[in-house]
Amino acid sequence: MHSHTEFTPDQIEDFKEAFGLFDRVGDSQVAYNQVADIMRALGQNPTNKSVNKILGNPSADDLANKRLNFDAFLPMLKEVDAQPKGTYDDYVEGLRVFDKEGNGTVMGAELRIVLSTLGEKMNEQEIDALMAGQEDENGSVHYEAFVKHIMSV
Amino acid sequence: MGCGVTKSNHLHKHTTSSGRAIRAAILIQRWYRQYVARTEMRRRYTWHIFQSIEYSGEQAQIKLYNFLGYLMDNFTPSSNERNLISHIFRENEVCRDAEWERYFCYKNIEVPEIYSGPHLTFPLTVEEAVGLVEAFRNKKQLHSRYVLQLLLETWKLLRMLPNINRISTCHSKEITICGDLHGQLEDLLLIFYKNGMPSLEKPYVFNGDFVDRGRDSIEILLILFAFLLVYPSDVYLNRGNHEDHIVNLRYGFTKEVLNKYKMHGKRILKLLQKIFSWLPLATVIDQKVLVLHGGISDSTDLGVLARVDRHIYISALRPPKKRHHSLAGISIDSDTDVDTAAISRVFQRRASFTYPKPLGTRDCFQNRSLQDFSDRIRVNMENQLELSRREEPILNAQINKPEQESLILSTDSVSSDTAVDEWKQILDLLWSDPMTQDGCIPNEVRGGGCYWGPDVTEDFLNRHNLQLIIRSHECKQEGYEFCHNRKVLTLFSASNYYDVGSNRGAYVKLGPDLVPYLIQYQASSMTRELTVRQSVGRTERSALRVLREQLFAHKSDLLCAFRKFDSENTGLVSLNDWASAVESVMHLDLPWRMLRSQLVTCKNSEGTIDYYGWFNELAITGSKTDHIDQSLLETLYRHRSTLETIFRIVDTDNSGFISMQDFRQTWKLLSVYLKMEITDEAISDLAITIDSNHDGSIDIDEFMEAFRLTDKKSRLERGRSMFMGTTSDLTKLEGDPNI
Repeated sequence: MHSHTEFTPDQIEDFKEAFGLFDRVGDSQVAYNQVADIMRALGQNPTNKSVNKILGNPSADDLANKRLNFDAFLPMLKEVDAQPKGTYDDYVEGLRVFDKEGNGTVMGAELRIVLSTLGEKMNEQEIDALMAGQEDENGSVHYEAFVKHIMSV
Repeated sequence: MGCGVTKSNHLHKHTTSSGRAIRAAILIQRWYRQYVARTEMRRRYTWHIFQSIEYSGEQAQIKLYNFLGYLMDNFTPSSNERNLISHIFRENEVCRDAEWERYFCYKNIEVPEIYSGPHLTFPLTVEEAVGLVEAFRNKKQLHSRYVLQLLLETWKLLRMLPNINRISTCHSKEITICGDLHGQLEDLLLIFYKNGMPSLEKPYVFNGDFVDRGRDSIEILLILFAFLLVYPSDVYLNRGNHEDHIVNLRYGFTKEVLNKYKMHGKRILKLLQKIFSWLPLATVIDQKVLVLHGGISDSTDLGVLARVDRHIYISALRPPKKRHHSLAGISIDSDTDVDTAAISRVFQRRASFTYPKPLGTRDCFQNRSLQDFSDRIRVNMENQLELSRREEPILNAQINKPEQESLILSTDSVSSDTAVDEWKQILDLLWSDPMTQDGCIPNEVRGGGCYWGPDVTEDFLNRHNLQLIIRSHECKQEGYEFCHNRKVLTLFSASNYYDVGSNRGAYVKLGPDLVPYLIQYQASSMTRELTVRQSVGRTERSALRVLREQLFAHKSDLLCAFRKFDSENTGLVSLNDWASAVESVMHLDLPWRMLRSQLVTCKNSEGTIDYYGWFNELAITGSKTDHIDQSLLETLYRHRSTLETIFRIVDTDNSGFISMQDFRQTWKLLSVYLKMEITDEAISDLAITIDSNHDGSIDIDEFMEAFRLTDKKSRLERGRSMFMGTTSDLTKLEGDPNI
């Protein structure tokens, strides 16, 4: 599904301001390796892979050293914005995959393994931060509540 | 597909669902990384809010001091204004050593039987020094007799030290280096707990800013001095920009001492003035690592610094007065001609006009209420700048704003270029900050010292055959930060500086290999229980509250700015205009659009903001003050730190009271400084609000309280009012595996 939403001028001004905050050098540009995070700060949630694709699959050296300005960034942001973001139902359905007993919970331990071994792997600290306070005394996560929680932030 | 065997059924189920599993994992991972990026963003701008306000406070301080200096130079000796404040500039009064010793004599101070604090004997022993730490941990206060004794011994010792300490990591000793402590005793105790107290095997360097803002500055000083006395070859102290009595007037140390030592506080402060001026300027380790408080500039020269008479720089904000000696051998001050030309040449030579610092140019000087007041001097400055403009090609014209000269204003009685250069060396050393671009430009944000770039570091290190600079002066979230290709290390040891959870503290250990080994910590048990999100949220709320107050305090200016965009007087401005107007008044260089949703909660339609409605939201009200004119109230609020500083300067005997007459004079002074009309009637209104004793004197604290000018929770300008942790928190540390 390709949604055809244009950014309003006000939104573009907002993006510009945020973009400027990431410029640590003072040349009105940002490094390639900052692009994914800027997009996330602006409400997108792309995978690193999709960002790299939009950037033209840069090498590690490119990522660290190449820079781009806001005019080059904006169309990239648009492209990412067009991708589906994931609704509440998507998350719940996604987690239901791990609900072995079909009772609305998943084992925290299993979730940890999945997040650290599949997809764009998370490290231990990231997983700890994500799961903080989410497991009950049995080590289970009530995933609908979990999703409500993560979407509310 | 698949057979009836359970295992392969399970496998089959797994293979088709593994695709879903991966997708599910990716979804969560995407969400998480977005959350992290947004949290980091919030943390960053929250930090920026605190730091901008902190630095603009420092700038205001320096401007105030320059203003007072201007008064000194330009009002006739007999004028009231001058007399009011002249005593703070009479730095080295008539005494000789013998007279000082009489003045500071502690011998007739009796220690009463009921005193339950620590007793000291001199020469001090290790047990007594350690005992002092324990006593302070238990919230005891050292008796003023012992304080004076300890300080006198410290003064004697410091006078024998060179400007630059030179130490070595021989015998496989590791040297521990600590950054800013700012009166936060809890952090010092935590460092001692983790690392051990100073001893022959455990040498320490403390890199300045021991005082101000936190509430236990005097205790920190006493501990550091005690260990200095006991281990003079293993404890090294560098002076910071807050080891300065002028700065202390504003940032809380003066007040702390006067409150804790009601009878002898004034003497203690006077003695500390001398001690601060005698603190060494820097420390060099193994001839390779330089430790100093602020930083360097492109003209910093260790040779020059080693030779200066450091103790004549009582306050780094003002060049020392030229001294004459009368026949009686008593030194008196003289006011020689203002040598603005020499000063401006020095500043022109020094500044290289390069690209401004990231996050925009800090054009804070446009703030009308703190603008330069001196037309006469501005004319001179402009002539000078004109001349040099013709001589040197200027790459970046915005640096050459006329407001620039407020850095240059405090120029009296400078007798030669050498004296100016020396003063500049010290100013740079105490106040400078590193920047990412090459070059060296004046530090307009703080109002003193420079911003220096990686090329300046490289050049400096090569010239002096050094490999690393360790400095402090700037709060860092992780307690430390490397820059300039890891050749400069910023070290900050006051954790939770802006608010609970705002940052960690750190200290450095340096062995013979001279590789910095960093240890981080965070005081107060509260922070360990907060998740990152809670911690960021809390600090953010605090920052936003402070910011809202600042905005309210600038209401008149903001209204003016909004009206410019709203020519038809609709009461509405667009988002863009709102952001521009706010930045043009506040000069804090903040992402206003991003902050808007947190600062403006009243409804706005179609991307516009109802600014009158917004001000109603922000209003600070109090019943006691309703009869006072709103704009005066706003002025009071905005300049409350300046106001309090002036009060304390005027209160010459440090009693906490000023006479009605002096009160009026203070307002006259302030009205000149702020270039605003304050009528006699308005002043009377102000006095009535507090006047409880009708005896013709005003209690400064009561005054500040009455106008809600003190905010117990605001840490930025007045120092903490709540001790962060308690003794029980510290004992909890014993079993804590996180330390």
